[in-house]
Amino acid sequence: MVIRPAVVALLCSSAANVAAVGGIAPSAIAIIRHWNLASGSERQLVLERRTYLISMLVALVLVTDVLALLLFVFNADQIAPLFVGAMCAVGTLNVNAYGFPSLIAHIAVFFAGSTWLAVNHVDVQAPDYPLVRTKYALLLGLAPVLIAACVLEWQYFLGMHVDVITSCCSRLFQSGGRGLGGDLAALPPRVAMALFYGSLAAAAVAGVAVASTRRGAYVLAAASAAAFAGALVGIVSFLSLYVYEQPHHHCPFCLLKADYGYVGYALYVPLFVATAAGLAAGAIGSFAHVPSLRAIVPRTSARLAWVAAAGFTAVAIVALVITAMSHLVLMSPGGAP
Amino acid sequence: MIELAGVHKAFNHGRHNELWALRDITLTLPPRQVTVFHGPSGSGKTTLLALVGCLGRPTMGRVRLDGSDISGLPERFVTAIRRRTFGVIFQQFHLVRGLSALDNVMLPAYPLAGDWPTLARRAAALLGELELGARASTHVEWLSGGEQQRVAIARALINDPAIILADEPTANLDSALARDFLGILARLAREGRSILMTSHDPLVVQSALVQRVVTLRDGRIVGDA
Repeated sequence: MVIRPAVVALLCSSAANVAAVGGIAPSAIAIIRHWNLASGSERQLVLERRTYLISMLVALVLVTDVLALLLFVFNADQIAPLFVGAMCAVGTLNVNAYGFPSLIAHIAVFFAGSTWLAVNHVDVQAPDYPLVRTKYALLLGLAPVLIAACVLEWQYFLGMHVDVITSCCSRLFQSGGRGLGGDLAALPPRVAMALFYGSLAAAAVAGVAVASTRRGAYVLAAASAAAFAGALVGIVSFLSLYVYEQPHHHCPFCLLKADYGYVGYALYVPLFVATAAGLAAGAIGSFAHVPSLRAIVPRTSARLAWVAAAGFTAVAIVALVITAMSHLVLMSPGGAP
Repeated sequence: MIELAGVHKAFNHGRHNELWALRDITLTLPPRQVTVFHGPSGSGKTTLLALVGCLGRPTMGRVRLDGSDISGLPERFVTAIRRRTFGVIFQQFHLVRGLSALDNVMLPAYPLAGDWPTLARRAAALLGELELGARASTHVEWLSGGEQQRVAIARALINDPAIILADEPTANLDSALARDFLGILARLAREGRSILMTSHDPLVVQSALVQRVVTLRDGRIVGDA
């Protein structure tokens, strides 16, 4: 195991969060089973007093988990020099079999957690706890993901040995290579650019439309998911080439390095925030019919839609700046690659 | 309209020193009525007043204001109802020492108060109506007991509440000041405000102003006249 402050912080926070959710679970089950706002029974009044505290605690847990994704990626990049063959976070994540699954689990917790936070936010805006059962059912559904993320993270960090020779990003993200990374790297730049800017533009327009009309949150959610995928494809396929100014270096993780001005954070942070906002807008949109949320949901969806639109636009602008400042000529003036 | 349905209140619930202050209180209090909760010390009248005024929550049962449950609301909504609906006059007044009478009256309007000059004019007008205009800038600890109570009344009125709650309002007043206080309450009642008081003072209970006396003993209603 590699002992670093970030590693200890990540392990402690994931264990503490799972313990907190485990502690909350009995109350969540009690709320799902016994909640009855029409009753003035002692149990109901206890649940009413408890639910506010519980939702605050869950919100704290999930905010911690959302921030942990950033620390996880930053740490993976920072400790790469400890491993033979590792040039960036990819090498660190390849140290054992739990690295990439742990990253994927973190990303899943990020999006699921941010969606739960949005549902909780609209619920506490209404005086009659309209989503109390729903949000605790969602929490119980989220609990296995949190536990899986915690287990994977502990396995990953505990199984991390510095004498392991790991493989670097050029092996994973090379055109003609095997797996998803190789496929993305082999995608023609013209197609990848169309996918990248097209999906970002569609999601940004959907965000502005939802913010303006307060309708179509589901479309925004779908467009956000598509933009997330399209942006990742574009980053691997062509944008990374412009950053590194090398025609064969497709790594999406080297972008996080100081050598490239941490430009990856300028891409990933708005991308993740915008996607989470777009997904959350769609998730809360399904509660617009609840009487006490008729005014709250459209207002919150509109705010989330603005965040999504701004985030996707920011990603596109950063990409355009990268392309404009790069010395790499990826396509000839005629447009042929 | 305030309705209490099967309200119980326990302090230190589930502990060895558990105390049931209220038991199965079911009561309807129509608007624009002057009601006194009467009973000996420890009968639960102050606890009942606190539950009505959203200053506490029942252990069981519901409190409804104009048909809407207020006992189970999240705190942020309770705060808004408390500020908008209720004005409270405490037995010990609970004025903030070191502040002037005017500042004490203005205090409950914050943080949602409008501009300061408008609020200050309204607070000064309330003090003027209670014949304390000349004492507005005086620190409250330099005022007499009767004057302090009138500052407390003005403070209870600053948010223009529909319901005035007064806990043992004449306990610290002599008979003359108590009559003055009842005169002020009569004026507030004429303005259309509901008034709920706790008292075991015969001067209050037997006053012509009082329309209803709810008698409590050991946390239960034993009389309603």
